[in-house]
Amino acid sequence: MTEPEDRRLYALTALALAGMLVAAGMIFLYAPQDALQGPVQRIFYLHVNSAIAAYICFGMVVAGGVAYLWKESVRGDRLARAAATVGLVFTTNAFVMGMIWAKPIWNWDPSKTWDARVTSTAVLWVVYAGYLLVRRFATPGRPAMRLAAVVGIVGFVDVPVVHFSVQWWRTLHPGPVIDAAGGPALPPEMLLAFMVTMVAVLLLAGTLVAIRYRIEARRDELEDRAVAAQLELAASHGSR
Amino acid sequence: MSYLIEAYAFAVMLLGGFLVYSLVQLRRRS
Repeated sequence: MTEPEDRRLYALTALALAGMLVAAGMIFLYAPQDALQGPVQRIFYLHVNSAIAAYICFGMVVAGGVAYLWKESVRGDRLARAAATVGLVFTTNAFVMGMIWAKPIWNWDPSKTWDARVTSTAVLWVVYAGYLLVRRFATPGRPAMRLAAVVGIVGFVDVPVVHFSVQWWRTLHPGPVIDAAGGPALPPEMLLAFMVTMVAVLLLAGTLVAIRYRIEARRDELEDRAVAAQLELAASHGSR
Repeated sequence: MSYLIEAYAFAVMLLGGFLVYSLVQLRRRS
């Protein structure tokens, strides 16, 4: 039987999918075509918003890690686990979409031309993939939670590096467009399409984190039950 | 145009695939 919390998650999923359909309409039907780049510029809307969603997810990893280290909050640790997975998926999306966009615009070959944004994003990807590996292969329990919290918090140092890389280094990737000095460097129709996509992508990311959180909570419940059963068994053997 | 289609096809497969995978996991554990 479906529990009420699961039903809420399914409703949230339907809302997120509807949001993504509206965003697709804004990207492909409403937003005007870029005069210089042509249709390929429409990659921008999901590419940039995926990166924003990833930053926010990694922020949640930090918040969860701090909650764990400060108050030993298991919920905080669970939030960090859920958000790290979703953040990694959105980083992958931003990364791959960016590389596909770079090919026709810069004729970019990563083996020949260094780019600060690409390199710092690759580091970010490896850091949080490492975080998930720690979670997977460390023996479950408090030491693993503590180690993961530290990795998640320290790894976040790379997020501002990714964000400001286009200002700190002379590089191929264009500078800020939305948070450019003097306001967004976009026509109003493109800005509206961007904002609608941002709402839809953040709703999708939030939904995914909520689903992953629920999965992690069930996993914890099963582990607790298994440990309790083992303790009971050991106690019954000891009393004989 | 083909780069645009390639990029969005990848995004739909990755994000959609991850959503479906998560929903299946959620259903299995309930």
